[in-house]
Amino acid sequence: MDETVGPSEMIVHLGPQHPMMPGPFRLNAKLRGETVVDSEVEMGWIHKGIEKILESKTYLQGITIVDRICYLAAMTNEEAYVGSVEKLAGIEVPERAQYIRVIMEELSRLQSHLLGMGEYASFVGFVSMFMYTIRDREDVMSLIDSVTGARVTHSFLRYGGVKDDLPDGFKDDVEYVFGNLKKAIDNYEELYSTDQIYKARTKGIGVLTADVAKDLGVSGPPLRATGVAFDIRKDEPYLVYKDLDFKVCTQTDGDVYARIQVRLDEMRESMYIIEQCLDQIPSGPIFPEDTPYGKRSPVMRVPAGEVFHRVEDPRGEMGFYMVSDGSDKPYRVKIRGPVYPTLQTLPPLIKGVTVADIVAIAGSMDTCTSEVDR
Amino acid sequence: MDANSIISSLTGKFPEDIYDADIESDIRVIAKVKPENVVEVCRYLKEDLSFGHLCCEFGADYPDRNEIEVIYVIGSYDHPVVLTMKAILPRDAPEVESVVPVYWNANWYERETYELFGVKYLNHPNLKPLVLPQEMLGEWPLRKDYEGFPNKTARNLV
Repeated sequence: MDETVGPSEMIVHLGPQHPMMPGPFRLNAKLRGETVVDSEVEMGWIHKGIEKILESKTYLQGITIVDRICYLAAMTNEEAYVGSVEKLAGIEVPERAQYIRVIMEELSRLQSHLLGMGEYASFVGFVSMFMYTIRDREDVMSLIDSVTGARVTHSFLRYGGVKDDLPDGFKDDVEYVFGNLKKAIDNYEELYSTDQIYKARTKGIGVLTADVAKDLGVSGPPLRATGVAFDIRKDEPYLVYKDLDFKVCTQTDGDVYARIQVRLDEMRESMYIIEQCLDQIPSGPIFPEDTPYGKRSPVMRVPAGEVFHRVEDPRGEMGFYMVSDGSDKPYRVKIRGPVYPTLQTLPPLIKGVTVADIVAIAGSMDTCTSEVDR
Repeated sequence: MDANSIISSLTGKFPEDIYDADIESDIRVIAKVKPENVVEVCRYLKEDLSFGHLCCEFGADYPDRNEIEVIYVIGSYDHPVVLTMKAILPRDAPEVESVVPVYWNANWYERETYELFGVKYLNHPNLKPLVLPQEMLGEWPLRKDYEGFPNKTARNLV
């Protein structure tokens, strides 16, 4: 961004600690009156060096670290990490463990969308919505807690399986929670679609077209809101997703309103996937028979090689590129987070909008700074 | 478009620049590229082979071979094949042409590779540190011979 300001122009620094910013990054916006002329994103306030840390930890220790990339998507981060090691080592996951993983990842997607949507609603001045979604998210968190023993950072997946089986009565708990949640989501949709002020603030704001979104490298709900049905669960199925019936939720408008609608629809699909899984889940082991790996062997050596494994995060495409040199620690791990390209699109997207719309657009992208900084 | 036709089309178009091309599986293709012509190869990939989605671009350090690899992982919205393309650079002066004119979102990936590995990108629009503070520039922390980790961070905390 050019730092020189003309007459009736000024530079406003939004963040890193601004109550309306989705995470600690700084947005330097050059304004002319109320309109954004140019802007620039500055990162690095919570850089954790996770890629370097992973190089110095054994594979089993790494599972705990990748949880911390982004706490909202801890389960899918683990899936990407564990899945890439399983590909390198050629470990087959038993079917029951795959179903449990799918259930946990979809629950994780539910709670992430609930928080992301509520947080975003408070950015556009719809603070009571935040209270509703947080209340309903707590039920989903309790479900996750009852299986993994942790609410946020689970360390639940293991190479070749999962840490624990589903507890007794889990299906009944899920039915009870989903009964309430389905009503709640219908309620949110009604609130969003009938509120005229909300509609005026979100319809036609921050529009991305399909070609531009593809060009900018966006993935996840912001891309699907433009009409591109790009979903790793369909395009490159992992686990048992190819046996499950679900559709990729898309909208065509590509504005702030459409992105939220995609998330609402995706939550319904996630619940549908979990219900199918609970009906179809076979009995059997949660670890492969006579594996050299698994939860009882803290030190494992992975054959030398390179792999790129990607999964569908709540926010888009999450990928791990892993290089192994045959030792007990990864040689190089690259974390390809979904928000990294999405946050880059913020400066071109907010060019020409008013200051009040910046937070609406940034919030609807559901950015996670922790994941960009890693 | 499947992996075989991608490999044959790519090696047919750039017989000099693409080498060690191989098929790992139905959806994974690897190749190495001469660093001088990486932009033309990327433009061909994007425009003719519909590789429109740059998944990521990053570095990897190999001090025993005295090399730094810059790895481009390129996917597509139209077909499921993902191409892993490597450009091998000398470790003492790694320089490569920027692919930002082709893939817009390479901007931040290249800034990060620059500050973490010291790979200099030519003709990059805004080559400055992204996640690290300015005064750490030149330490190249993700190289294998970096000695500041974890002592430097721990000392700074107390």
